[in-house]
Amino acid sequence: MIEVIDLIKHYRASDGSVVRAVDGVSLSVAAGEMVGLLGANGAGKTTTLRVLATLLKPTSGTARVGGCDVVTDPLGARRHLGYVSATTGVPDRLTAREIMRSYGRLHGLDEGPLARRIDHVVRALGLTDFIDRPAGRLSSGQRQRVSLARALVHDPPALVLDEPTNALDVVGARDLLHLLDGLRADGRAILLSTHRLHEIEHRCDRFVIIDGGRIVAQGTPPEILGSHASLEEAFFAAIAAGAPS
Amino acid sequence: MSVSLSGHTDRSGHKDEPLRYSLLGSTLAVAGFQIGRLISRQRLLLAGLGVIFPAAVMMAVRRTAAEGLDRDLAVTMIYALVPEAVCMLGLLVTMCPVVADELERGTWIHVSVRPGGRRALLLGTYLAAVTWTSIVAILAAFLAVLVARVPQPLPLVGMLAALVVLSTLGRAALFALPAVILPKRALVASVAVALVVEYLAGFIPAVVNQATVSLRLRSLLVEWMGWRQKLPVEMQLLIDPQPAWVQIAAVICLAAVLLGVAAKILDFRQFPPSVEI
Repeated sequence: MIEVIDLIKHYRASDGSVVRAVDGVSLSVAAGEMVGLLGANGAGKTTTLRVLATLLKPTSGTARVGGCDVVTDPLGARRHLGYVSATTGVPDRLTAREIMRSYGRLHGLDEGPLARRIDHVVRALGLTDFIDRPAGRLSSGQRQRVSLARALVHDPPALVLDEPTNALDVVGARDLLHLLDGLRADGRAILLSTHRLHEIEHRCDRFVIIDGGRIVAQGTPPEILGSHASLEEAFFAAIAAGAPS
Repeated sequence: MSVSLSGHTDRSGHKDEPLRYSLLGSTLAVAGFQIGRLISRQRLLLAGLGVIFPAAVMMAVRRTAAEGLDRDLAVTMIYALVPEAVCMLGLLVTMCPVVADELERGTWIHVSVRPGGRRALLLGTYLAAVTWTSIVAILAAFLAVLVARVPQPLPLVGMLAALVVLSTLGRAALFALPAVILPKRALVASVAVALVVEYLAGFIPAVVNQATVSLRLRSLLVEWMGWRQKLPVEMQLLIDPQPAWVQIAAVICLAAVLLGVAAKILDFRQFPPSVEI
């Protein structure tokens, strides 16, 4: 459902030097699978996710969502993708219902099916109590739920989440990740980046560890953990092993 | 918690379905979204000030004129206050900061990952800014004409309303460019554009002023008020002698070109995650 093949994204910095933000990353996420993309700040996680979300164009390589290439068929890729970021971008004055209606209309959903879809998402994500409350009066956890609902309004088969729990407290993060478990069980492909390794240690089907724009390790939890006591230990070991000598 | 969300739209069929989104529908969705954001206490207060300010100025001027206001002078003043000042200020606070906020803050990303989202964002924001500012400015013109006690007020309000609509159509497009090119400095860049393009280049009697909205509006005012013969020769250099339909077409073409350029810039523009590079 989500495929990244030998993805390279280079930027030209203000001093003229070339920054290799992503340097040959390949990964895939199948339907019904949750993959954790792990890395420090500047490792290339957000750049990879933004290429998948058609916000950035790759320097070379391929990225596909639902079989649609992000460069040659960005509209197709967008139709298959739900995108959630750490900054929710939820306008304070609008209610969750108004936000979902606006975004649903951006996908061309007609009023009738859109209203039914919104009701369904609201029930499934537990937004009923605050669906008609202005977003400015919601907690950070509730706002992130609204953000997730907005990403799901067009029923995408693939979800890309860029550090979605960053602004959340422990309870909010747990609730959101619990929702993601349900979405995976619903058959969606989920690619999730986070710094909070303990939150996803027992949730993801596979992990991809990225450092300096390159993948330094990837595999199932047992493959990544190996003899390490925790994902955090395994993460640091992978980074150290992948670092240039 | 159950999160079963399938079945309400056919996900399996997405790939084979033709694209259902339309730019018009998306633009209207964004425009509704932006107007929803504009309806706040602060914005309504600002709009109220925009409506009252020209009338207050006209009232002050009328009180100083012992024998009442000369019609031509009153029209010139209302023109300067409404299609020029109110429209310009209204668009500065609606068009460029809103586009720039969207581009630089979180919402833009979420709009941009929708089919046609970038163009819909630009055009929807443009439509919202034009609608909002036009309503405020037309109300302002109506009130100012009433307060100035100008003879034959209704045709005058109609003419001013047409000038307001052309002013907002052209200038909102003009402000779209700095907003997409320099989102972090959109307001400053737009003020600079207003001063340099509209009020400096617009008053230079050369080819350069042909691409300004201010020349077209002035020319329409002179044409519709029947002032052409009255104008001194040196003032005639500051207007375009073409008929009204040419001026209207010029504003529409200018707006289309400016919006087209802004849309192309948005299409190709990339917004890298600054923390990652």
